[in-house]
This record gives sequence, C-alpha cells and structure tokens, in this order.
Amino acid sequence: MALDTSADSPAPLRTISQAVGEYIGRLGAVWVEAEIAQLNRRPGMCFLTLRDLEAKISMGAKCHVSVLDACAAPVTPGARVVVHAKPTFYGPNGSLSLDVREIRPAGEGELLAQLERRKQLLAAEGLFEPRWKKPLPVLPQGIGLVTGRESAAERDVLENARLRWPAAPFHVRHALMQGSESARAVIAAVQALDAEPAVDVIVVARGGGSVEDLLPFSDEALVRAVFACTTPVVSAIGHEPDTPLLDLVADLRASTPTDAAKRIVPDAAAELEAIASVRQRTRHALLRLVEREQHGLDAIRSRPALARPATLVDAQLELVLTARDRSRRALDQRLSRAHDEVGHHLARVRGLSPLATLQRGYAVAQAADGTVLTSVHDAPDEIHVRLADGHLVTRRTAVHPDPQENPDE
Amino acid sequence: MSETPEISYEQARDELIATVQRLETGGTTLEESLALWERGEALAKICQTWLDGARQRLDAAVQAETGSED
Repeated sequence: MALDTSADSPAPLRTISQAVGEYIGRLGAVWVEAEIAQLNRRPGMCFLTLRDLEAKISMGAKCHVSVLDACAAPVTPGARVVVHAKPTFYGPNGSLSLDVREIRPAGEGELLAQLERRKQLLAAEGLFEPRWKKPLPVLPQGIGLVTGRESAAERDVLENARLRWPAAPFHVRHALMQGSESARAVIAAVQALDAEPAVDVIVVARGGGSVEDLLPFSDEALVRAVFACTTPVVSAIGHEPDTPLLDLVADLRASTPTDAAKRIVPDAAAELEAIASVRQRTRHALLRLVEREQHGLDAIRSRPALARPATLVDAQLELVLTARDRSRRALDQRLSRAHDEVGHHLARVRGLSPLATLQRGYAVAQAADGTVLTSVHDAPDEIHVRLADGHLVTRRTAVHPDPQENPDE
Repeated sequence: MSETPEISYEQARDELIATVQRLETGGTTLEESLALWERGEALAKICQTWLDGARQRLDAAVQAETGSED
C-alpha cells in the first residue's frame, strides 16, 4: 500500500476506502472454520456473525439463503461450520464481511475425535462388553419402538416386522430424533418402555443423517441409560456405515431400521414350515419305532413256544403215550407167555391123566368113597366103574379071584 | 384301549424274551412250562397294548392336525 500521504497532503477517504477494498478484493476466497454466533435470515439473504472457536474474535458474514439450505446439517446459532467465503469490503459503511459461498457442517474431524475419546472411556468402563449383551426374545410379547413421529424409520420397522410376523405387538413412543433435545427425549422414551412389563425388546430407530445428526445417539447419558435397561435394546440408527455409540452399547446392532425388523421377529412362514417339518420327522421316527417293536413282538409271538403252546403238552403227551404203549406191550407179552405156560401145563396135565387109558377101553373101579379097587377081595357090593365118558354104578354079583400063580396059595 | 398296563413296554418286552428263552431251553416241569407260557401270553398282550396305544395316539394326533387344518 504505497499511498504517499502527509498532514499537508491527505488522501480523501474514498481513496483509502477504495484502496482497502481493492486490497481485500485481492485476497480471494478462503476456507474458514468458525462457530455461528448469530443468524439473521431475511428474504433472499442471510446475515451471520461468525465467531472464532477460541479467541474472542467475530466477523460478519452474509450469504444467499440457498447456500444456507444446501448445508447437510441445519445451520443454527452455536453450530460449528466450515465456510468457503471471500472477504469483501463494503465501502458505504466501511465494514468488512465474508461473502459465504458454501457452508459445511463443521469440525467433523474434531467431532469424530471427540466421539472416539468418549467411546474409549466408556469402553474402558466395560459398557460395551459382550457379556452384558442380553439375548433377544425369540418371539417378543411386546416390542417397544422409539422413533420419530411419522418417520420413514417408523414405517420401515413396522411394515417389515409385520410382513414377517403379522401379529407383532408394537408399543410405539415418538421422540425427537434430531437436535440437542433429542438425547433427553430418547432417554425418556427408552426408560418408559423399559419400565413397561409388556415390553420385552426395545428398538431405537432413526434414518440416516450426517455425523452431527446422529450425535444424540452417541450421547453419554443415552448410552448409560441404555446400558442400565433390563430390557434388551436394539439400535437401528442410520445406514450401514454409521456407528453411533448407541450401536456399541445396544444388545443388538441392526444396520438399518429394516434390518431391525428382521432381527426382532421371526419369519412366521419359515417358522411354521420348520415346525411342520420337525413334527413330520418326529412322527415318522415314532412310527418307525412302533413298527420295529411290532416286528420284534410278532417274531417272538410266532416262535413255537408261544405260537403253538400245544407243543408243550404234545411233547409230554408223547412221552406218556410212548410209556403207555410200552407198558401195554410189556403186559401183552407177559400175558401171552403166561398163556403159553398154561397150555403147556395143561398138556402135561392131560398127558398125565388116565383119560387116554380109559379111552383105550380100560376102566377104573372105585368104591363109593372114591377108593380105587385093586383087589377082588376088597370089592364092596356097590362098585363105581369109571369109563372114558362117565361112570357106571354096578352091583357085585360074583367074585372070581384069579387062580393063584403062587403054589403056596 | 384298555387301561394302561402297570409295567412299561420295555419291561414287558424284556421279560417276554426271557420267558420264551426259558421255554425253549426246556428243563422245566410241565406245570412250570404252562405257567411260563401263560406269563408269556400275558406279557405279549401287554406289549401289544402298548404298541396299539402308541399307534392310536399317533393316529389321533395326525387326525387332530388334519382336522384343524381344514
């Protein structure tokens, strides 16, 4: 700025103003990180006051409202931003301001570093440890849902859960899911649902957003509130790559609200099919068992010992009959031998009897008392004469002794 | 189905097998054999009762299911 001036030859203000304006104009656009101190929105234009993050330094800025609206995160007083701006000098009142062309949610890097520090502190306390994770009910009796009123996340959870399990019983609590009040609202909703006996799983669902949008779900108080819950909590925040601290402390992390719906209720159709198949298999197994046992029983019953119990008696009967036959035969032989003996004796008896002699013409003379007469001298008056076929009774009329052969007589 | 037998199926089956084996081995008096055979018959009946009952319960379950599905 080689403006040659002295007390005697001052430059007019307009020259200075113009020179300063030209000098500032040559600065060009720069990237600036700052905090929004004030925000004044007018039709078409917006006037801001930017404040340094540490030093007590502020500067005015302005931009078209479209620049404000194009920012991914809401630009509110207190928000940290990075702006692309060109310093401009306004001649009529000699003010310096930044002509903002782009606003980005600020300090994402710083924010993430802060989150990382919080995460490590809470992890060191053990809040994220797997041993604290509670299992989800297989079939929930009551599903608590914390989500934004009429949000896409609410619709995603309800619709997808009911597609899988039409009777899914939901207890929905709407809460502010964005902004500085959000964490407190979500804590209140989660605690209310945790106290509800009918609720046995709680889902916190929200659609995607910037890191700043999801900041409430990394809130330390919320993390501790969820950790203290006796009911299992499912976090379903944003999209796959988003990992607020709620994801870490939750008992189950769902990548999206739709994914949460799939995790909390079983697929009714698939479950029914599985049950039917298992029932079919158990029934077949039982039937096979009964059939196998029936075959075994049939086999035992068909064995002769049971099937034809008569064989028991038959065997004994045969023994008895055999014995009887043998005894009969033995007796028979004994009898016939006796018979033979008798015949033999009879023959002998007959041989010895005088009958044959009588038949040849001999006769036996006997006294009435049966005494056989051998001498004419002994003969009584009445003599019985035995012939072969009977006997005669005769009377003695004469006695003729034989002449004595012995000369002595 | 008659009342549930007082001994289990497995008990009845095992005793039945043992009984038949004794019968087949022999060496028993006629009176003992008859007693064994009568016991065998009774055991076989118990086994059959169990098996019939099991089958009936299966059939009833299947029928109840097909009935509820209609």
